Amino acid sequence: MKHIFQWIDERTGLSGPVRDFLNYPVPKYVHRNFLYTLGGMTLVAFLLQVVTGILLAFYYDPSTEGAYNSVDYISYQLPLGWLVRGIHHYGASAMVILASLHMLRTYYFSAYKRPRELNWLTGVMLLFLVLSFGFTGYLLPWDQKGYWATKVGTEIAGSVPLVGNVLMRLMRGGATLGQATLTRFYAGHILLLPTSVALLVVAHIFQMRFHGMAPAITKKAQSQAKIFVPFFPQWVITDTLVGLGLLALLVAMTWANHAPLEYPADPTRSDYVPRPEWYFLFYFQLLKYFPGVLEPVATIIIPLFLFGSMVLLPFVDRSEERRPWRKPVTTLVSIFYIVVIVIFTILAMAAYA
Amino acid sequence: MAASKLPPLPSDKGVWDDHAITRRGFLEAVFGVLAGIGALLVAIPSVRFLVGNSLESSATKWVELGKVADLPTAVTQVSYSTRATDAWREVTQRGTVYVSSADGGATFSVLDGTCTHLGCIVQWNERDGQFVCPCHSGHFTREGEVISGPPPHRLRQLAVKVKDGALLAEI
Repeated sequence: MKHIFQWIDERTGLSGPVRDFLNYPVPKYVHRNFLYTLGGMTLVAFLLQVVTGILLAFYYDPSTEGAYNSVDYISYQLPLGWLVRGIHHYGASAMVILASLHMLRTYYFSAYKRPRELNWLTGVMLLFLVLSFGFTGYLLPWDQKGYWATKVGTEIAGSVPLVGNVLMRLMRGGATLGQATLTRFYAGHILLLPTSVALLVVAHIFQMRFHGMAPAITKKAQSQAKIFVPFFPQWVITDTLVGLGLLALLVAMTWANHAPLEYPADPTRSDYVPRPEWYFLFYFQLLKYFPGVLEPVATIIIPLFLFGSMVLLPFVDRSEERRPWRKPVTTLVSIFYIVVIVIFTILAMAAYA
Repeated sequence: MAASKLPPLPSDKGVWDDHAITRRGFLEAVFGVLAGIGALLVAIPSVRFLVGNSLESSATKWVELGKVADLPTAVTQVSYSTRATDAWREVTQRGTVYVSSADGGATFSVLDGTCTHLGCIVQWNERDGQFVCPCHSGHFTREGEVISGPPPHRLRQLAVKVKDGALLAEI
């Protein structure tokens, strides 16, 4: 065995970089804190999406005539099809939740501050790519939910002043939702987005390794800041255990409730009540409050403001203070947003219950 | 490159800056220009390819909604289907409109059922005499004017004509 490794190493020179990667010193306060597994968990969730996504692509038919039947076939006739699609379906929600929690952890620990601004920015971009994955993914079964969510979603782009109509047509590949839309969303979902996410994840992890962990914020953690454990196996085992827990949870959720598939897309049904995926419900609710000419406020201006403030955060909040209880402004702003999002989500759910 | 070919300065004047231009700097600039040209050569046709035919305007057409004699005068949802080309695919294009007559069937009004807010199909509520959008609660009158909610415009009124006893609408 040793000879084989030596043979490979002489020809690749990989043992040095790999050893450095695995021996990376992780501060003990990080290793002991569950909150620091959120980033790794998001990555595990992404890898699960890649594996299940590749499997689904072996059976999925990206055509308006065949898409629904192929997903129906995967779900109800293919051995373990229900499981693969179920993990992919619930895994999408898991990615949204984990990426958001990871971002909140970074926020409250002020880990976005100098010199980690670019790591925060790659994270912001990754969060939006995760949401784009969700948006492009649920059209693919070509069922009622996906069809109407995409109709509304592209109309939202259409409400942008001046260029809206062009944007909407570019997203749809034409004036109406159809084959061109499905192919576009499919190519984006299985090629463009995964490669973009993979590249950004590499950049994200590289930057994290380059700067090391952000300074500890509690006295207890600071007292352990000079004690380290190696990335492998200590840290990796923690992530592996939590990752197995995530997989078990996704399997259990799928077992309890198979991934839903609604009726086939039907542009003539007026009794269908379109609702987006749960993580877009707050936005859906927001759209109700801005009538007539104010429509772009809800569809574009507020989302752009949110995105812009996330991008600008590390450049605006440049103080040295890292403890959230000593930074009432940023802490209260985030709590305000969380409360609004929760209330809007509940309102939207109540309206359709 | 150029620096080595400059004529020597008189010794009392000084010397040429030997970094005025170096071979390396020149090659870097050349690389930048070549890479830029290459990127544009790839990017411009790619963008055109991706835009494709998505900005082409689609021609309107007339679809039959039913025989005039059979159409009720109350607000009624009528679905139509017509053969259409969807990119590279021949499909049965389906849609839905609301037909009504205010004068006992002499003339008909046809409203596109698509909500002008974000494209959901509005529902006719007979009790209140209103169209209601199930998505974001837009309300319209029987004639399609906005009563309340987020829709920016009235429902689209379609051109109609009667041909051989059948009602046709332009979609």
